[in-house]
Amino acid sequence: MTENRQRGIFLGLAAIAAISAAALAQPAKPPDAETVLAYLDDLYRSKSSIARAEMIVTSPRSTRTMRLKAWTRGEDEALIVVEAPAREEGTSTLRVGPNLWNYLPRIARTIRVPPSMMLGSWMGTDFTNDDLVKESSLHKDFESRIDRRSDSPPGWWLGLTVKPGIVGRWARIDILISDDGWLPLQEHHFDRKGRLARTMVFDEVRMFGGRRVPAHLVLTPTDVEGQRTEMRYLELEFDAKIPDDTFSLSRLERSR
Amino acid sequence: MAMPLPTTWRIAWRNLWRNPRRTGLALAAIGLSVTLVLLYDGVLRWEADWMVDTITGPMLGHVQAHAREWRRTRSMDKTLRDVSKTVAALRADPDVAGVDARVYAPALAALGEEGFAVMVMGVDMDEAARPSRLLAGLAAPIGHRQVLMGNLLAAQMGVKPGDRIAVVGQGVDGSLANDLFTVVALLTTQVDMVNRQALVMPIGEAQDLFAMSDEAHELVIYGRDVDAAKTLAAHLQQLPALAGDEVLDWKAAEPGMNELVQLVEVMWVFILVLVFVAAAAGVANTALMSTFERTHEFGMLLALGTTPSRIVGMIVLESLALGATGALLGTTLGAALVAWAYRRGIDYAALTGGGPTSLSAFGLRWSLVIYPRLAFIDIVRVVAAVMVTSLVASVWPALRAARLQPARALRE
Repeated sequence: MTENRQRGIFLGLAAIAAISAAALAQPAKPPDAETVLAYLDDLYRSKSSIARAEMIVTSPRSTRTMRLKAWTRGEDEALIVVEAPAREEGTSTLRVGPNLWNYLPRIARTIRVPPSMMLGSWMGTDFTNDDLVKESSLHKDFESRIDRRSDSPPGWWLGLTVKPGIVGRWARIDILISDDGWLPLQEHHFDRKGRLARTMVFDEVRMFGGRRVPAHLVLTPTDVEGQRTEMRYLELEFDAKIPDDTFSLSRLERSR
Repeated sequence: MAMPLPTTWRIAWRNLWRNPRRTGLALAAIGLSVTLVLLYDGVLRWEADWMVDTITGPMLGHVQAHAREWRRTRSMDKTLRDVSKTVAALRADPDVAGVDARVYAPALAALGEEGFAVMVMGVDMDEAARPSRLLAGLAAPIGHRQVLMGNLLAAQMGVKPGDRIAVVGQGVDGSLANDLFTVVALLTTQVDMVNRQALVMPIGEAQDLFAMSDEAHELVIYGRDVDAAKTLAAHLQQLPALAGDEVLDWKAAEPGMNELVQLVEVMWVFILVLVFVAAAAGVANTALMSTFERTHEFGMLLALGTTPSRIVGMIVLESLALGATGALLGTTLGAALVAWAYRRGIDYAALTGGGPTSLSAFGLRWSLVIYPRLAFIDIVRVVAAVMVTSLVASVWPALRAARLQPARALRE
């Protein structure tokens, strides 16, 4: 009886201590915005990366699943190859700097995406071609600051405002980062008229090559009911060795 | 007191020909005025039809049907289903003269590596090739994996007929749409958007490319009479095949174009009023002058004992006879000229020294070949106006003549 009670008290105290410790650990001082943004830009990428991911595109009319393999190097080079479904297998996108090319194995053609199509959908997903070009270099186009504290979930809202003179789709991006390791939890994208155009939610934090990253993200555009794109990293290798000719047109056409 | 009218008539008619030169000049003046008014009427009537035809013929149709929300979102998957059944139902409707089912899909087209943003249009080729429609005069049929390309787009892309281009887009199910097409001909249509960015193919090819079943984004419907478009739209909205879809007449679909038509109409009617007033002034002047010239003659008649009322009656009848004869001549000449011009067409470009034969404005190409036409009401209106003017213009000088002092009038 007494032992039990003592144990109960002990557990109670331990709980209180744990809660206080958590409260103390809560960062009183917000992190530096630029540092966080640089960290986020680099999160899925490092110097070079190889990833395998699954994408599920849901529209009011259909649901489509794709499997992709992607290589990146630095901020400016990326190659994405569709591995499934069979109908689209081998279809690839190469990004070098601001240029984007699609290779279409069915008709054996490589086509450069014109600037006027940059805001068009990438492979029928809710991602745009522009996302592939811009997403990994937010610090180039945006001023960032720590906007406000979030209590639930605990973290900080990072406010990104587009730099003057930059032409792009977003005027403002709000990113919620977690206290534990600055992982992105949510992103809200506001268009040039200040309207919330889409949200991204990150979860399923996993370890990939020694890094903790959210493996799953859901992109929901606000203007189309029942429309969303989910992406889940299946494999992610950081600082991977990538052959020099990976990000070239000749390699693009051999990607099948 | 009053002589029987037929006698006055005869005297009036005889009087007219006592001075053939004066009467001839007066008839020429009235006749030319009537001819001018009728020619202008003819152009005006053509203009109203021409504007509405240019707007509705190639692109809008009299009435359009879409899935709800398509016009706002232009989303690929907002389609009309079971389209062939709907089209069959529409064609069976006695008020419907034609139906063109269309697919609109944004895509990327490339001859080499450079991609260009284009709009793929799937249309009913037979329907679109009818006169004054989008592909009016299209000769050869378009086969499997063949397209027509807007001439300006072709110039921008460097494409010649016979070239094979890649077309890449997104299917209605989100899948990747891509295929190779042969450009069989370049298109010069009345619609700038089509010339600048369209790839036109049979609707079946477009449905195939974009993984669509029996669906379309738009039904372009032509009625028997474009003026009844609103009634037709209301009637078609009741059809079970279009239940729940958006059915609009062209004015509701493109209010801006409707405003343009009305604005231009007001302007032309304003000019018509000016032409009319000028013509009436000419007729009135002729009637006045031919009375004033004859003061001496009326004094003589009064001195011989003709009653003033008889003089008034005679002068008014003379004037009416003059007006009627002039109107008859003018109508004959005017109607003949309009009929001739309608058959031949007046090339406005040739009149301005061989400029372009069409004018690009408001996203459309407006042909500058004029085909004037008349309605019976135009003739009735102008003849009535001549008669009224002749009457009004002769009453005052007639009354003045009736009150003349015979002695003083004779001295003039």
